[in-house]
Order: sequence, then structure tokens, then C-alpha cells
Amino acid sequence: MFAPTSSRVYYVTAKRYTTRLPVHRAISTYEEYDVAIIGGGPAGLALASALGSSQVIQKKLRVVLIDAGDLSKVRNWSPPPGTFSNRVVSLTNSSQTFLREIGAWDHVEASRTSPMEEMQVWDGVSDARLKFSATEIGLDVSEDGMARLTEILNLQRGLLRRLEGFSNIKICDKMKVQTITRDSEERGGWPMVHLESSQVLRARLLVGADGFNSPVRSYAGVPSFGWSYDRQGIVATMVHAPRGAFEGPNTTAYQRFLPTGPIAFLPLSPTISSLVWSNRPHIASALIGSGPDVLANMINAAFRLPEVSLRYLFNRIVEAYSKGNPLSGSEIQREIFWREQSHSVDPNSAFASAMVKTREGVPPVDSQFVPPLVSMIQAGSVASFPLKFNHAESYIGEGIGGRTVLVGDAAHTVHPLAGQGLNMGIGDVESLTRCIHNALIQGGDVGSYTALQPYARERYLANHSLMAAVDKLHKLYTTTSEPVVWARSVGIEILNELDSVKAAIMTVAGAQNSKIHSDMTGWNFAAKGVESFVATAQVAKTLSGGLSGIIDTGLHNLLGRR
Amino acid sequence: MQASRVVRALQQARLSTAHGTANPSEIAHFSRLSSQWWDEKGEFGFLHKMNPVRVQFIRQKLLEVFREEGNSERTSEMGIIDGLDVLDVGCGGGLLSESLARLGARTLGVDASESNIAIAKIHASADPKLDTLSYLHAPAEALLESPKRYDVVCSMEVLEHVDNPASFLSTCAELVKPGGHLFLSTISRTPLSYILTILLAEDILRKVSQGTHTYSKFIKPSELVSFFQEHRSTQEIFQLSKSWISPHCPPDAPPRTEAEIRGLIYHPLQAKWTLAPRHAWGATDCNYIFWVRKPSLDP
Repeated sequence: MFAPTSSRVYYVTAKRYTTRLPVHRAISTYEEYDVAIIGGGPAGLALASALGSSQVIQKKLRVVLIDAGDLSKVRNWSPPPGTFSNRVVSLTNSSQTFLREIGAWDHVEASRTSPMEEMQVWDGVSDARLKFSATEIGLDVSEDGMARLTEILNLQRGLLRRLEGFSNIKICDKMKVQTITRDSEERGGWPMVHLESSQVLRARLLVGADGFNSPVRSYAGVPSFGWSYDRQGIVATMVHAPRGAFEGPNTTAYQRFLPTGPIAFLPLSPTISSLVWSNRPHIASALIGSGPDVLANMINAAFRLPEVSLRYLFNRIVEAYSKGNPLSGSEIQREIFWREQSHSVDPNSAFASAMVKTREGVPPVDSQFVPPLVSMIQAGSVASFPLKFNHAESYIGEGIGGRTVLVGDAAHTVHPLAGQGLNMGIGDVESLTRCIHNALIQGGDVGSYTALQPYARERYLANHSLMAAVDKLHKLYTTTSEPVVWARSVGIEILNELDSVKAAIMTVAGAQNSKIHSDMTGWNFAAKGVESFVATAQVAKTLSGGLSGIIDTGLHNLLGRR
Repeated sequence: MQASRVVRALQQARLSTAHGTANPSEIAHFSRLSSQWWDEKGEFGFLHKMNPVRVQFIRQKLLEVFREEGNSERTSEMGIIDGLDVLDVGCGGGLLSESLARLGARTLGVDASESNIAIAKIHASADPKLDTLSYLHAPAEALLESPKRYDVVCSMEVLEHVDNPASFLSTCAELVKPGGHLFLSTISRTPLSYILTILLAEDILRKVSQGTHTYSKFIKPSELVSFFQEHRSTQEIFQLSKSWISPHCPPDAPPRTEAEIRGLIYHPLQAKWTLAPRHAWGATDCNYIFWVRKPSLDP
């Protein structure tokens, strides 16, 4: 799904499909559809389910979903008991409410999901920490938590099961889209989707739910802008001992912002949690390449050791790995132990990890500050992917790329640190469904610009401010720029920063009635908070530069007078 | 299908004799612009944006009447217009006609400009879901020759372009079935409407071609109300004594069961139209939409 890019900043200029088709193909028979969704990922499947579960839409529109993959594998997905897929998403309450409304949530296996009742976020350098819980942010149904951690496959399977109930929605899987062309001008220039089976579909509205390298976006001629973060996201399923009787259940998510990138611990079951760790590519490949033992030890260390020691350990691992002689689990354990000793970490504290066996009885007083100790990585669960920022310039195609609309990753790709990527996609689907419904009851043509404009209006800015906030947070925590580091050492500013993360998560999570607009305010607030902080940091820099300037000229003046 | 039979009958009749109230220079003006009808961001962008609001008003008003009459078949979300005979007078490129047809109405769009009808036909032919829609190049007056009458007659943004509004209104009124509905949208004759629709939209911002509107042709809502207070059908003998709107009501506040005037407000920042609330002060000083109901035959 992700293509590696060498340059840090890239600009995707849209390339149109130029394939010229033989004339007999253009006039051969085709099927008419009102909505053709390209892509059977969570966003595409959610859109199909949403369109199917609306009475009005189901009666009026013929919908088809096309995916190149074999969706029966997802539909029949049955993982061995006690194992979890490594691709996990935190579904906000508004996303869950929407999935419930479209009747899909009942088909998601609830026992494989876990509420996130509390979240702890802290700065890896200053250790400034924020902790917040579902009850604290005023959610009355505390069992729902702030969000629910769910395997993406579990969600996709649920959506596919929901879709089985609709006669009006056709699923075409194992079917590649060969090319997309435009019908003749007199025929309105509607998109024509040519499948590898040589079937042709004529679509009133073509939906691109086809991911980062969206062919629909290319057809629509919509440019997108973005950059790669020079970071790899490592994902893995982590096995650990259950929380003790005095510690509460495993429903706390932890995220530590390290200069190399944030590391997150997302609970799935009492003994299993999911990892999302973004790191520099060379460190990430060394961590993965050194084997699951080293990774497990380093995960424990990354949540506990001071940043300076982590830097040292990363260097050791990379060095050994690049010499073709990667460190073993016991070697890295020894290294971590030495670092703990040099920082005089109390071996009975929860911050000690190297030589600790599974703890029994009364836990250390600070056990709530860090996640449980990872004992093992589930076999074959380690994977990594490059992190990117990418935003389409428009969500609706116009002119010769008209009758197209983008949702999910085809429209936007975001850093995973706030866990908002898929939730944004679900927000898109909810908004687009409402937009299609409103157009239908007013006799509108759902493929027209006029009908789709409310969708773009509702989602573009909301997504953009969220993406900007997440992007700035990433940059803020990974920067080595002096004034920011100085501000960090003060600590208090960072606390404000974490506050804006908190505000965002709180509002998104708190939007139980799934009102899109209330989400926006939280993120706008967050974006503003981050902006003002970065601005303050820059002011601090210019001020310090300026001050020395003033003193200099002052001295010159004094000397000059003499 | 009934609508198309009427079309054929009318085409066979000699239409050239009927000149109608449409102004020849206005017809030429819109014929020149006809290719732009379906450019949603072009000359007619304002109308594209206004269209959902017009449909919204038509649905709301019909729903209100059907509810009051206890017509439960027609009160579902998609059943309000479904199956009604609808005439769109001065349909232009077919913006409103297509919407009404999509909602299930047997729709006939007529326009005095041949190129408008040509564009409307081509556009509709690309859409497989418009089989209840037909178009006819004819002045509205030509339809009087056929006995066919309509449940709903609409004429949107047309009144301000005709030469003899009283005659045009009589024609539209005549084409409505007893108990049927007439929807008109137009522009009021006020300083505000001059500033917004002519000075700003045509002369300064150039969003609309110059010469599209003529101030003196604008009609105030109260003038429409007065017209329907006095109007008597010429052909239906049963109706001779009945006026459409009670003669004694004030012309700015007709009874809600007989007529309604609502302002259409453009919000430039959001680039969208909204339907102003009933009796909102000053809301009908520029664009407005008007509904009036033809008295039914039953006493």
C-alpha cells in the first residue's frame, strides 16, 4: 500500500489514465451503477454498509464495491484463540456510534475488542505527564471507555457480514480495475470502470476508497501534497502477564513521546496488547532484524529508561546489526541492566525491566506509570510501514474528472500518533452518506458537484486541522531545534501541549452523539494550541537572538560615545 | 406514458401560431448561454445552488398540504412528489425538471428557447434514471390547446423575464388542475434587489451576464398576492366565483392554506442558498419563492 519515496517532500501530480481503448470496447455493453466504490478496506466497506442501511438510499441507488483482493479471506477470518492481528485501531465513540447506527457493530466480535478507559501520555525528555480517563472526561457509560481498541480485520469482517444482508449492494472482489475512462461528452462524461474481466461499469458517482496510491484520485486529476516523515511505524502483538489484583484491568493505553518518535501500548486483552512504535528507519530495521527478544526488551526499556540511555542502546543495536552480528536478547538485557544501574533505578521499581521476572503479590507503587512488562512478541506479528503525511487538494473531482469523490486514505494519510486515521475515514463515510441522502430527497444527482459539495465542505477543513495538529505534534516532539528543547526543559509548556492532545482526544471521544461539528472544535483548539506553542518557541528564539543584538549595539554605542 | 403522449399531440398541433408572452430578445439571450446550463460553477452556478432549496420548499409545502388532508400515502420521505403530473414552465437546461423527475414526478419541461430544450434533452439522455421526464420546445401558452392539466406547475426565475406577466400568470394558473399547486420564484422590485442582482451580480462581480435582469420587470410578492386575489379562471365555469386567495387578507400575509411567500437568501461566504423562515423581516426583498393553490371543484 505504501510506496517508498526517496525524497522527503514530494508532490504527487495527477497522471491521467491515457490508455486508448479500441472503439468496440467503448460501445460494448456496460452495466449502470449509481455508486461504484473502488476499494474494500474499512472505509469502502463502511460506506457500502452505510448506503445499504439507509432505506431511502437502498431504494434509489444501485451500489457496487470493487476490490482486487479476496474478501472471502477477511469474511472467514478466524485467528487461532489467544492470538491477535497486529493492525489495531482505536475507534472513537463517535465512530462506534456510527457503526452501531448502520448495524455493523453487532457483527464485530466484541470479545476481541478492548475499551480504553485511561490514557497516559508523557514526554520522553522532560517526563511531563498527563493522565486522563473516561470518567474524568464526563462519559456516563464508562464501560465504553474513551475509545475501543479493535483489530482492523475484526472490523472489516463485521462490515462484510453486515453487507451480506443487502440485495442492492453488489460486491465484486478478486477483480482488478484495469482502467477508468470517461464516457463521451454527449453522454455526460460519466466515469467508465473497465474491469479485468472485460466488464465495463458506468458510474453516476465513482468513490475512491482505494488508499494512498488511489487510482480514482489519478482519474479525477486531483493532486495531493505531502511528505514522508523519515520514520517507520513498527507494529507487533505483545504478550505480557496480566495486571495484578491491585493494579486494575489492562485498559490503559500508554504513549511516550521520544525524539525518535512516539511509542504506544494499546491494550487488547488482559494479557495481550498492541504496539505502534515510530522510529527512524535504520533503527527500526535494526530493532526488527535483531529478533523478537531484543524487540521485547527494547519495548520495555523504551517506556522506562531516560532518553539519553535509549539513544545509547539504539546506537549499540544499530552498530551490531550493521556489522552483521546483531545483539542477542540476553546481551541487550545486560546492556539495559547496566543503564538502569547507572541511573540508579530501584530494582523494585516498575521502571526496572531488565532483570525482572514476572512480579507477584503487591506491585510497586509506581506500577501504574508504565505498561505491563512484555514477555514475548506473538510469532510473525512484527511488521513495519513508512509514515507519511498526505492530503488530496480536493475531495471532489471536477470538470473532466467529475463525478468522483475520495474517502479515507485516498483523501488523507496521517501520522498514527493520535490514532485518528481510520476514524477520519469513518467520519468521511458518515458525512458522505448524509450528503448522498440529502441530495436524494431533494431530487439531486448524487454524482454532481452541487450534491457533493457539502461533503467536501464538512470534511476538508475538519480533517485538515486534525492532520495539521498531528503533524505539528510529531514535529514538536522530534525536533532538535534549540528553543523547543529549551521550552521542553521548562516542562510546563510541554504540559500545555499535552493538554491540547488531551482536549482533542476528549472531544472526539466525548462526541457520543456523533455530531461531526463538535469534533471539529476540539481539533481546532488542538491545532491552535500547537500553533501558538510553536510560535512562542520561535519568539523565544528570536528574542534571545535579538537580546544579544541589543546588548551588542548598546555596548557599541557606549564605546562610541567615549 | 401520459406526458409523452401530450408532447406528441402538441408537436402535431401547429405551435407556430402561438407566440406567447416570452420576450424574443430574452429568448435570444438565454439561447446564447444555453451551453453553459450544466456548468455547475459557471454562469448558472447560482441556480444550481438554489435548486435544492426550491425543491425543499416544494416538498415542504406539498407535505404540509398532504398532512392536513390526511393523505397518508404521500407523507413518506420519497412519496411526496412521486407519480404527480408536474409542469416546469421555462425549464431552461432542466435543472428543476431533472430533480422533480428523479423524485418520481411525471415531468414535462417547456421552454421558449429551442437551444435550451436541446441542451436539456442531451443532458437528460445521459442519465438512465430520468424516464419520467420529457421536454418540449414551446411557449407555455401552447399547452392550453391540450386538455392536459397538472398537479403541480412550477415556473422558476421566469416571471422576471416575460413581457406580459399578467397574461403569463393566467396561463400558468390555467394549466393547474383544480386543487393543484403553482410554484413561482422570482425577484422583488426593491432597492436591495437592484443592488444585489443587477449592480453587484451583473455589473461589479460579473457573476451573471450583463443584461440578464431588467429592474422594471421585477415583481413584488404583494403584487402576486393581489393578482391571485383578483384572478378568475376564464375557462372553468365552476370557478367563476372563487378567488385563489381570500380578497380581504393583507397582500403581505395571505392565509397559509392558500398561499405562501418565502425569501431565498444567498450566503456568499458559505456559497449557498437557504430558505428564510416564514415572515422573516426583509427576507422577501430580493429573491423569493411563492406558492399558491388553485381552489378545488368541491364547494
